[in-house]
This record gives sequence, C-alpha cells and structure tokens, in this order.
Amino acid sequence: MTATTSARIREVRRPGAANRRPGTPTALRWELRKLAAQARARYTLLGSLLAPVLLVLVLDGQQRPPKDNIYGRHIHDSGYAMPLLVLGFAAQWVFPLLTALVAGDIFASEDQHGTWKTVLTRSVSRTQIFWAKTVASVLFALSVLLLLAASTITASSLIVGRQSLVGLTGQLLPSHAALPLVLASWATAIAPLIGFTAVAVLLSVVSRNPAVGVVGPVVIGLVMQLAGSLGGLDAVRHLLLTTPFESWHGLLTEDRFSGPLIDGLLVSAGWTVVCLAVAYAVLRRRDITGG
Amino acid sequence: MSDILAVNAVDVTKRYGALTAVDGISMAVAQGEVYGVLGPNGAGKTTFLRMLFGLIRPDGGTLQVLGRTWQRDGTRALDGVAGFLESPRFYPYLSGRVNLELLAGLDGGDAPTRIDRVLDTVDLTGRDRDKVGGYSFGMRQRLGVAAALLREPRLLVLDEPANGLDPAGIRDMRALVGQLAASGLTVLLSSHDMGEVEQICDNVTIMRTGTVVYHGTIATLREQAPEPAHRLSTSDDQSALALAAGRPGLTVLALDGALAVRGSLDAVDAYLSAVVRHGLALRALSLQEAPLQSLFFMLTETSPETVPGSLDRSPTGARP
Ligand SMILES: Nc1ncnc2c1ncn2[C@@H]1O[C@H](COP(=O)(O)OP(=O)(O)OP(=O)(O)O)[C@@H](O)[C@H]1O
Ligand SMILES: [Mg+2]
Repeated sequence: MTATTSARIREVRRPGAANRRPGTPTALRWELRKLAAQARARYTLLGSLLAPVLLVLVLDGQQRPPKDNIYGRHIHDSGYAMPLLVLGFAAQWVFPLLTALVAGDIFASEDQHGTWKTVLTRSVSRTQIFWAKTVASVLFALSVLLLLAASTITASSLIVGRQSLVGLTGQLLPSHAALPLVLASWATAIAPLIGFTAVAVLLSVVSRNPAVGVVGPVVIGLVMQLAGSLGGLDAVRHLLLTTPFESWHGLLTEDRFSGPLIDGLLVSAGWTVVCLAVAYAVLRRRDITGG
Repeated sequence: MSDILAVNAVDVTKRYGALTAVDGISMAVAQGEVYGVLGPNGAGKTTFLRMLFGLIRPDGGTLQVLGRTWQRDGTRALDGVAGFLESPRFYPYLSGRVNLELLAGLDGGDAPTRIDRVLDTVDLTGRDRDKVGGYSFGMRQRLGVAAALLREPRLLVLDEPANGLDPAGIRDMRALVGQLAASGLTVLLSSHDMGEVEQICDNVTIMRTGTVVYHGTIATLREQAPEPAHRLSTSDDQSALALAAGRPGLTVLALDGALAVRGSLDAVDAYLSAVVRHGLALRALSLQEAPLQSLFFMLTETSPETVPGSLDRSPTGARP
C-alpha cells in the first residue's frame, strides 16, 4: 500500500455512479459464468456428447444383445432401437446423477466455500440468487439431455442404420415415422428430469453438503425404482418420480395412449413445485452463520 | 453530513438456542464517523455485524442502516454498505479478478469499471489473474477490502480486518483502514485489540458476552485508564523491591522473576533514580501493558464492580 493510496481511494469513491440494480437475469449470468469455469460441469457436458458414441460402438459390436432390456433385442435391426435402449437405461440412475452433479452442488458449494456471506452482501436478494441457481441447474440438465439424445440418435443411425423400427405391439414403423417417435420419447424425459433437478436443489439447500446433494437424488431414484417394481403398490407407483421416465412406452404402441404422459407431467410438476417451494422457504429463512 | 445515522441499533438481540449471543445491544454511529466495536472472542461482534448485513435475523430490537431496515427495504438496506465478516471468502477456482468481476455484476451500476482501481488500491494488481486458491491469507484479506470498495460504500464494515495477518500485514492493513477512514467514509471496525482501534476510531462500543460494557469516546476512555504498568529487571530485585516501600502513588510487585511497577510516569521516574542511586544496575524496563489495554481487560474480564465508577456504561447515555 503506497503513499498515493488515499488519492486513489478518493478517486475510487467518485460519486455519481449509475444506480441500475441488477435483476435475476444478471444473477443467472453470474451463476452460468461460475458454472462454465467448473471442470465438473464441462466434463459432464463433454461426456454426454462422447459417451453415447462409445456405447453405441460397443453395443453394436456385441454378438448377443442385452435381451432383458426393452428394445435390447432389436439393436442390430434398427438404428432407432439403440436410443430407446439407452433412454430406458439412463432413467434408472444416469439422469438423476447427471442433473445432481450440478443441481446437488450449486447451493451447497456456497456453504463449502463459505461464500454465502460474500454473495448475499451485494445488491441481489436471496430470491434472485435462488432463481438464478435453480434456472441454471435446469438449463444444465436440459443441455445434458439434449446432448445425450442428439449424440445417441446420430451415432446409432450412422453406425447401425435407419431401418424401420418394430413398435411395442409388433407393428412396423418406417424410418420417417420412427425418428419423430424416438425424439418424442426422449422429450418425455424432460419433465421427470426437471423433477429430479428440483429434488437435488432441495437436498443441496437443506443438507448444505455437496456430497449429499449429488448422491441423494441417485439413491432416491434407485429406491423409487425398487418401490415401483414391487407388486401391490400401484397407488404409490403412480406418484413416484421414476414412473414418468417410462411414459414414452405409450408412444410406441399401435394404439397410442397418452394417459401415462399426462400423469407423468402432473407427477413431475408436483414433485418440482413441492421441492422448490420447500427449498426456497428454507433458503429464505436460514441464518447465514458460516464462512 | 446527513442527519441520518449510518447505524442505529436499538435493543438488538440474537439468540442461538439457549445462548444469547447479542443481548439487547444499542448503538448509534453517525455518518463520517470511524467507530470501533471492541470485545474479546465470543463477545458477539460478528453476530451483531451479521445482523447489520441481513445475514441473520435479530430475535428482538430494531436495526437501521443508513436509515433503512431489512424488514421494510429488503436488499436495498445494503445500498451504500459494504465490508466483510470474519475472513473474506471467494471462489478458490477463479482468479481474484474474475471473482471481482462476478461480484461487480451482482452490484450492478458501473461497479465493473472500478475493478482495476480497487485492485490497485489494495496492491493486488500483479496477482489479480492468479487463482484465489493460491492466495496467501493476507492477499485474500486485501481482496476482501477491494471487493468492498467496488460498491463505493458510504458505510464500510470491517470485521477484524487484521486478524491472522503477520506483523507487516497488520501494519499495511491498519494503514489502509486509516486511509479509508481519513477519506471521509463511515467506518465500522470490529476488533479484539484496543491498539487497533485507539489510533483511528473516534468512538467505541466495548462488548462482553453479548452486552455493552462501555459506550463513548476514546478520549473519555483514555482519561479513565489506569496508570501504565512496567516490567523491571535489576541486578538485585529483592533490594529494588525494598526501595519501593512507602513511595506514594507507586506499586511494585515481584512477578515471574521480575518486578511489576505501576504508577504515574513521575513516580516511576523518581523510583528508578533511587534504584540507580542505590548502586543497583537496571537490566530491562519495558511497558507491560498499555493503559487502555489494561482498562479493556478490566472491562471485559473482571466483574463490573471493579471497573472505574465514572465510566458511563449505559448504551443510551454515551451517545446523543
Ligand atoms: N451459528 C452459531 N450457532 C451457535 N452459537 C453461535 C453461532 N455463531 C456464534 N455463536 C456464539 O455466539 C457468541 C458470539 O459469537 P461471535 O462470533 O459473534 O463473537 P465475536 O465477538 O465475533 O468473537 P471473535 O472475536 O472470536 O470473532 C459466541 O458464544 C458463539 O459461540
Ligand atoms: Mg468475530
């Protein structure tokens, strides 16, 4: 600190600054910029782009396709079967994990770094920070889904081919009809994926621990799968966040049925609203004492 | 300066479960003032400042900052206010500059245009592109000051800014705070070190386990301070001790292999001359405890009855 410091200080404190207040979009840009600097987020996006290509190559090279899995038996017959196989598999724990990598960490990392006090003593409110982090998490989850879908469908149709696809009731879907259905099937994962993002956000806010925020949604997803596979729990199964991941089955039957799709949307919306409401209330009320 | 107080706290209380961390504190800081909040570890300084920043909610009382309250004005209560609590924290995986850019974004206005200048003010210009994770403690502390100055505050709140710094770091931080204070900013400085605040603060509040034990000017405090205590070592401490007997206004005690000498400077001078005249050699004489420091310990460690009676310890009496 030099002799000219006080002169500089006076200069720094020059009055007449433009007093524009930052809004939620500013807070969102702040969060996205931090996210872009994190190796974990970048590698997850890169992995979502490259892993499906590897997976398609490996599965395509296998003599015996995974027959216990829906569409597993058809992967050599049509390039449209592989994306549906991957979709069914990803719903088990990959989707919850991929979204939790960011959403489960995004609030808790401020606790980990002790930076809540740094952020919340500027000109943005807790509400703005909450929405910035939540929207950033959803944008990340949607990016991951988009990359996985694009990469799997492109790789599979290039490597296996664009043959007709056998529907779930045995009907034959020509290539031009199969592609939109495959795309729509992947799109049905959007709602439950956002639901799991909200679960991860809630765990991240409540636990203040990134490990809980990231692992928690995966465990919850697996437990829901298990509960869903047990007999006699139909009412419960209906309300599980993992059930909407299967709603695309209705798109691939001869007579399409949209009941599970609508149910899936409602159930996902319910989970999302409840988790975000609780997370918001907890963040609004909590004392920031760490750091 | 405006009539609006920079800080106006009335009866502010904060409880953590059974523990009352801040117990009915009142404090008034005028604009342009350099104000010290003093207290030992656990006195409640940081808890009080956290309430000021809206990070924790008081359980009772009212707290106005530059005329605004959290209940009524929300985040606007922080307009014109900046500072840091305990050690400042940043994202370790980003550089100092990017951290400031992110914070400037959250400040809005033209804060981003001030980044170079505040980095220069705290002497971090050459290291601004290094990751904060690799910064020394002192550098992070200075980055904390830079981050606060980005907001062009009217009220700067610094919670033990010299805590954890090495002697050179403490000297530099004190010089910086002194210059900021001299530039006309209102500064609210918390510390557990009397020496840190007595040079630059006009008024102080001394806290002890959540309550106020003194409110008022440093000058008043100085008048009430006990006489300085010295540590004396001679060639024959036993004889030197005997020479002290009967001298008015002087107390000498044997203490840890030396003598503790307390009295006015005149009395100490006369005593030392007598010791030398008696043929004893002086080996060491050092100031054991600054007078204000002694008073601070008396206020914060001993029972209230032993504190000089003329000290005004009522929160409302000391300030207009
Ligand atoms: N989050 C918390 N939960 C429970 N007790 C707390 C919490 N934060 C502070 N306290 C307690 O409140 C009291 C005041 O703490 P505070 O940190 O405000 O003191 P301080 O004056 O800043 O001390 P220091 O000089 O050590 O920083 C202490 O007894 C402390 O243990
Ligand atoms: Mg403290």
